[in-house]
Amino acid sequence: MPTIDCDSRVHETRVTDRSELAPGVILLGLNAPELARATRAGQYVMAIPPTGEAAATALGIYEAQGERASLLFFLTGKRTRELGELRPGDMLALTGPLGNGFDLSSKPRHAVIVAGGVGIASVLLAAQRLVADGTRVELLYGARNEALLVDAQRFAEAGCELALATDDGSAGHHGLITALLERRSEMPDLILACGPSPMLRAVGRIAADRGVRAQLSLEETFACGVGGCWGCVVPLARTSAQAPGFPLESQGGSDVVYARICKEGPVFFSDELKW
Amino acid sequence: MITAQPSLEVKLGKLQLAYPTLMGSGCYGSGDEFAPFADLTKIGAVVLKSVTRRPRLGNPTPRLVHTPAGLLNAIGLQNPGIDWYVEREVPKYADRPCPLIGSVAGFSIDDYAYVCEQLAKCAPIAAIELNISCPNVGSEGETFACDPDLTARVVRAARATTDKTLIVKLSPNVTDIASIAREAEAAGADALAVINTVRGMSVDVETWRPRLGNVTGGLSGPAIRPIAVLAVYEVARAVSIPIVGQGGIETATDALEFFLAGATAVSIGTANFTDPRIPERIVAELQAYLGRRGLAAIGDIVGKANVGIVGAYQHGGDEG
Ligand SMILES: Cc1cc2nc3c(=O)[nH]c(=O)nc-3n(C[C@H](O)[C@H](O)[C@H](O)COP(=O)(O)O)c2cc1C
Ligand code: FES
Repeated sequence: MPTIDCDSRVHETRVTDRSELAPGVILLGLNAPELARATRAGQYVMAIPPTGEAAATALGIYEAQGERASLLFFLTGKRTRELGELRPGDMLALTGPLGNGFDLSSKPRHAVIVAGGVGIASVLLAAQRLVADGTRVELLYGARNEALLVDAQRFAEAGCELALATDDGSAGHHGLITALLERRSEMPDLILACGPSPMLRAVGRIAADRGVRAQLSLEETFACGVGGCWGCVVPLARTSAQAPGFPLESQGGSDVVYARICKEGPVFFSDELKW
Repeated sequence: MITAQPSLEVKLGKLQLAYPTLMGSGCYGSGDEFAPFADLTKIGAVVLKSVTRRPRLGNPTPRLVHTPAGLLNAIGLQNPGIDWYVEREVPKYADRPCPLIGSVAGFSIDDYAYVCEQLAKCAPIAAIELNISCPNVGSEGETFACDPDLTARVVRAARATTDKTLIVKLSPNVTDIASIAREAEAAGADALAVINTVRGMSVDVETWRPRLGNVTGGLSGPAIRPIAVLAVYEVARAVSIPIVGQGGIETATDALEFFLAGATAVSIGTANFTDPRIPERIVAELQAYLGRRGLAAIGDIVGKANVGIVGAYQHGGDEG
């Protein structure tokens, strides 16, 4: 991915709206004009906990337009629950935008975006950008059940073709979303994916089988979120342009090197990941 | 009447710092990573990530686990090795707005001496911290800080390679930290960093496996603060060189506990992961605290709570 030289900093934002898209799924709208302007598709923020307790939380930037940016997240633990408590008028400090987003520079004719669960939060901006550039965009969107296929309509309105899958069969294909990628007769020019790592691994494997590469947006536990602690790493081919500079002799000339998901990523090419 | 701002300046060996706040090794990169979010002119110094003689790939993943009041990490000293580091990394550090302290880790006395010598030669490196207390590289890394004799030998070897300020970072995972501290002082340390992380682990009850790729890790953050305050308190009674107190400092009040227990300076690591503005806030609040009390300098409060170990509370009851 090209390194994005963005204007990231601490933003003091105000919550403008909050909705619960499904039980335990929150969409938080923020007045954040500078963040919205600086954000590229696939980037994220570190949300500073309003109480000052616990570590900041990495969240994908869902929408970024005009004065508004938004965050879409699942209430999974203490830190996200605290963010879920915020109401319109409350302040939320964020650092960002962070990370290298998706590389959309190839102006593809046809793109497929695979999103699983909360992974949907990191792909709307890419979908919008691609549609605006005249790309035909298909969204393959999977979740546990129909209720958790949040905001699918939004993608349809944005001009994407939708294909859905649920684990329980309550909507769309009954089973894994990656089955819909696997059964295609033709591969698109561009594949983007964000979701749980088993899904990403499957997307990577399917892409490799078909002789193409996918851009995968990874998630991992973060500490600093800005490249300062080497806690959030993934093994990457040493030959990758994203591999951090490291002498070859390390650990007996191993051909992998650990790259920071928060800094070199979070988006990596599937054929360069050695996980 | 114009009263001067209370002074936060401190001295560690020869190293003069404008603020008594260091950024903990391994938590703050080289400073650059945090520059968009924090004012580096308002911190005392950045302690760089520990570097070893040979390149190290680091530990398998996952390397981090958030726990209720702290962070477990097992990074495993991922670094490109001292030669590459000196040649390709350190030159990039030339124009940092605050002093940089190099951190040295190793697996033999020779390693420490070699890395220390190479690093100390670099102009951007203002001082050296000897990390003899890394809990995340098998038993080897921490062996030094757990053995008074090895501590003495490694500090003596490092001392012989440089005149720059030498800070020795101690482990809390010992029975008697004061005896280790005494050895480090006698062997030529200019200051002591107290403490490194506390060993810990976490288990995934779904997979029945340890959560960290390395199985064990080092715990940092507020969970270890009382352990760290006591360690500073005990070390302060044992040595006369300055102490850099650390472990879970998130606010000026937390930092004051360390100063009062006997620390000359403090270090902030994990709190930067909560909010990168914390170090600047701590400096402002320390200044306000001294001002409110009519104190001229942070040095005026160092060790003022240090009333002794046994005996002082004998008539005040037992903590249970
Ligand atoms: C992710 C992480 C990486 C660390 N890496 C190092 C290191 O390379 N060398 C070192 O001496 N200490 C290292 N430490 C320890 C910190 O410098 C500090 O001593 C410790 O975390 C206690 O302070 P804190 O609670 O403010 O973080 C690391 C700590 C963390 C959380
Ligand atoms: S979270 Fe610290 S380097 Fe990625």
